[in-house]
Amino acid sequence: MNIRNPRGNSLLILAFPLIVLSSCSSAPEKYIPKTDTVMISQMKFQPAELTVHKGDTVVWVNKDMVAHDVTQVPSSTWSSKSLAPGQSWKMSVEESDDYFCSVHVVMVGKLIVQ
Amino acid sequence: MLKTFAAWAVFPMALLFLQPQSGFAQQTPKLADDEIASVAVVANQNDIDFAKIAEKRSKNAEILKFARTMAADHQSVIDQAVALVTKLKVTPKDNAVSKKMAADAKKTQKMLNAKSANSFDKAYIDNEVAYHKAVIAAVETVLIPQAQNAELKALLQAVVPTLKTHLEHAEMVQSHISK
Repeated sequence: MNIRNPRGNSLLILAFPLIVLSSCSSAPEKYIPKTDTVMISQMKFQPAELTVHKGDTVVWVNKDMVAHDVTQVPSSTWSSKSLAPGQSWKMSVEESDDYFCSVHVVMVGKLIVQ
Repeated sequence: MLKTFAAWAVFPMALLFLQPQSGFAQQTPKLADDEIASVAVVANQNDIDFAKIAEKRSKNAEILKFARTMAADHQSVIDQAVALVTKLKVTPKDNAVSKKMAADAKKTQKMLNAKSANSFDKAYIDNEVAYHKAVIAAVETVLIPQAQNAELKALLQAVVPTLKTHLEHAEMVQSHISK
């Protein structure tokens, strides 16, 4: 049917390279954010240093017997609420940051965005 | 004077718990689980009481923050210790060690309350460093080895990292106050 229709022929000719292109080269795969967990245990962030991709979610879980928090340093640009034993808090990571527990200031951690 | 005070503060605990190489040939006290529970509660309550004095008397933000942390953390430990002994149907039993610790804490409170406003912060944080060192030694060398019940032993073991973090925090504050 298309052969008899000059307009249809031109459309086929135009469409062909696109079909070939789309079948031969794939677009970059869209990154699917993942979730990582940092355990707060024995008065430490474990792991203390975590490498993630931008947009990944990090969950901090307090497994200790005392309350903690998770606070960006040095400017406190983000912070969890106080996390009682057993509580958790999550955040989508946008950039590399250092953080600490503002209750126990010697507890420190680091997020590295690849 | 302050060094004397710090030594005085740690002396009773060291005398009670530390090994003979301290120079005081004391025997390690033998404690049953109900007595260990009592010692644990008293040790935590003492530091809460010191913190309450600091919250009343200090105007230093770092001292106040440290004191609030001590009060909250040690109360949390007491709550979990009480929950455990309730579950185990153990009643904390007063003993020579817990009585001496409570009596010594009263003397420390009196000493802290008698300090001038200018010397209070250093006296408080020096005592916190000494007290945590003594309690860590006691928990590690006396309470954990002697605890018979596995859950009580596990609770005591879980407390040690908290105490060590407190000590590290206290030493950091002390280095600022000493300047």
